[in-house]
Amino acid sequence: MTDLVLAIETSCDETAAAVVDGRRILSSIVASQAELHSVYGGVVPEVAARHHLTTVNAVVDEALREAGVSLNDIARIAVTRRPGLIGALLVGVATAKALAYATGKDLVMVDHLHGHIAAVWLEPLALDAPFVALTASGGHTRIDLVEDYAAPQLLGQTLDDAAGEAIDKGARLLGIPYPGGPGLEQLAREGDSSAFDFPVGLRGRGPGLDFSYAGVKTALLYVVRDLGEEGTAARRADLAASYQEAIVRPLADRLLRAAEIHGMPAISIGGGVAANGRLRQLVEEGASARGLRVAIPDRSLCTDNAAMIGAAAAFTPAIPWPHYVGEDAIATAPPGGIAA
Amino acid sequence: MITFALDTATPTPSLALVGDDGVIAELWLGRVPGGGRRVLEAAHHLLGACGVVPGDLSQIVVGVGPGGFTGIRIGIATALGLGQALGIPVHGASSLEALALGASVACREGELIAPVIDARRREVFAGAYAPDAEGGLRQVIAPAAWDPAAFSLALGKAGPAVLAGDGALLVPAGLAARMAPDGTVQRVSAAQLVARVAQVGPLPVLPSYLRLPDAEEKRLERLAAEAPA
Ligand SMILES: [Zn+2]
Repeated sequence: MTDLVLAIETSCDETAAAVVDGRRILSSIVASQAELHSVYGGVVPEVAARHHLTTVNAVVDEALREAGVSLNDIARIAVTRRPGLIGALLVGVATAKALAYATGKDLVMVDHLHGHIAAVWLEPLALDAPFVALTASGGHTRIDLVEDYAAPQLLGQTLDDAAGEAIDKGARLLGIPYPGGPGLEQLAREGDSSAFDFPVGLRGRGPGLDFSYAGVKTALLYVVRDLGEEGTAARRADLAASYQEAIVRPLADRLLRAAEIHGMPAISIGGGVAANGRLRQLVEEGASARGLRVAIPDRSLCTDNAAMIGAAAAFTPAIPWPHYVGEDAIATAPPGGIAA
Repeated sequence: MITFALDTATPTPSLALVGDDGVIAELWLGRVPGGGRRVLEAAHHLLGACGVVPGDLSQIVVGVGPGGFTGIRIGIATALGLGQALGIPVHGASSLEALALGASVACREGELIAPVIDARRREVFAGAYAPDAEGGLRQVIAPAAWDPAAFSLALGKAGPAVLAGDGALLVPAGLAARMAPDGTVQRVSAAQLVARVAQVGPLPVLPSYLRLPDAEEKRLERLAAEAPA
C-alpha cells in the first residue's frame, strides 16, 4: 500500500513540488527564483508571486513525472498555508485547492516551519522523536522541542533579526551579491574567524535559548566604516569568517544546550542557514562530543522545498473534500509559531 | 459541453456556467471580505446549485485582467489547477473587454464604450471600443494603466463615449463622454468572458497586469539615470 502525497510550496522565492510516499521522497522539484531577485538585492514579493504563477503547474507536472505517478495515484495533496509572502502563498494555495477539489481529494494545509522541522523525518535520515530541532533561515530562527512530530514546542527564538537576514545584510556590506549565504561562506573559508570580535547574540545574558542578531550587523557596519574602503577590501576574508562565526556559533551552542537541558538524545538542523558548512561542522562536532545523534539533512532539504511539506503533512490533519474550498493562505505565524 | 468561467480581477468576482444553449447560471460576489480568495468556495456552490460536478466541465475560461494583481493570480491559478486536474483546456479572456461587452448595450449609434477599472494609486485600467452591428467590439484605445485625466483627454479625441465600470467615476467628465445609465451592468461578467472568446478567440492564460512591479519600475528608473547621456 502506498500513501502518496503531492506537496506544493510557494511561500517565498522557490516554486516547489514533490511526491512523497510515507518517509520516501519519490521526487522533489525546486524552481529557484534567486537569480531573478538578485538584481533587486533581495526577494521582491510581487516579482515572486508573478513567477510562481507562471511556474507552478509545470513544476507539479515535473514532480509527478519524475515520481512516475499520475495525479490519480495521489492520496492527498499538501500545500504550505503559512507563514510567508501572502501573494506567493496564495498562488500555491489556489493551485493546490483547485487540484484537490477537481479530483475529489483531501487537502492538507501545512505550516512552513513544521515542514522545516519534519524534513529529518524523511529517509535517509529518518529521525524519530524525541529530539531538539534548530530552524534557521532568512525569516526564522528558533529551537523547538520535538517530543511528537505533530506538536513541536517552541523553546527559544530570535528576538529581532533572523540569522539568514543577518547573513544577507552582512554579505551586502562586504559587497557579496544576493543571496549572500554561499558567497559569505566561500569567502570565510579563506579568513580567520577570530580576527574580529563581533558581539555574539545575547552572550553572557543567562542560560536562555533565545537569539539576537540586530547587534552583530550594526557592529559589522561600524568596523567596515572604520576600516574604510581599502582596509575593508584587504580584510574581507577575515571579516567574513569572524562575522559568520558570530552568527552560526550561537545557533550550534544553543541547540546543544537545549538538548542538554531537556535531556534529549538527538538534535537536528533545518532551514536555509542549515546549508552553511561552518554551522554543519559545529553541530556535528558538538553532537559527537556529547554522544548525541544528529540529523543534518542534505542541503537541498534545508533550503525551501516541497518534500518537507509532504513530510509535515503526515502529522497534520487532512481537511476532507470539499471542506477546504473556503480555506485561505495566511501571511503570519500563529502565536507559539507553528500551526499543527 | 459545459464551460466554467471565472473572473477575480475586480473586487466583485464573477463566475458562470455556460452550456450549449447559453448561460446556465451566473454568480456574482459583492465586495465580500476575501473577495477573489473565495472563488473556489463560490464555484463549489455554483456547481452544486446546478447539479454539475467538476468532471462534467469541458473547458474553463478565465479573466486575465487587468485589475488587482492578487485577484488575477488567484483566478488564473484556480483555473489552471482545475484544468490541469481535469485534463481540459483553459482559455484566457480580457476582463476589461468583458466589462465593455456587457456595458455596450448602453451605447447609442456612433458612441464608443469605455470600460474603466479602478487601478488604485489614482490610476485606471481603461480602453475604448466601438460596438458593431453583430454585437462585437472593435478596439479604438488599447487597454492600459492611465492617469484618469489623460484618459479623459484621449477619449475626447476618439469620439463620444459611454464610461462604465468601478473606475468610471474617477475619470473627469469630458465634453463627449457620459456615464453609463443606471441599470447598465457595470461589473465584469464571467459569462461575457465566454462571449468574448466566442467572438475573437481565446487569449493565452497569462496575467494582463499592465503595470510593472514597483521594484522593477524603480530599477529601470535607476538604470536610465545611470546611463550615459
Ligand atoms: Zn523556509
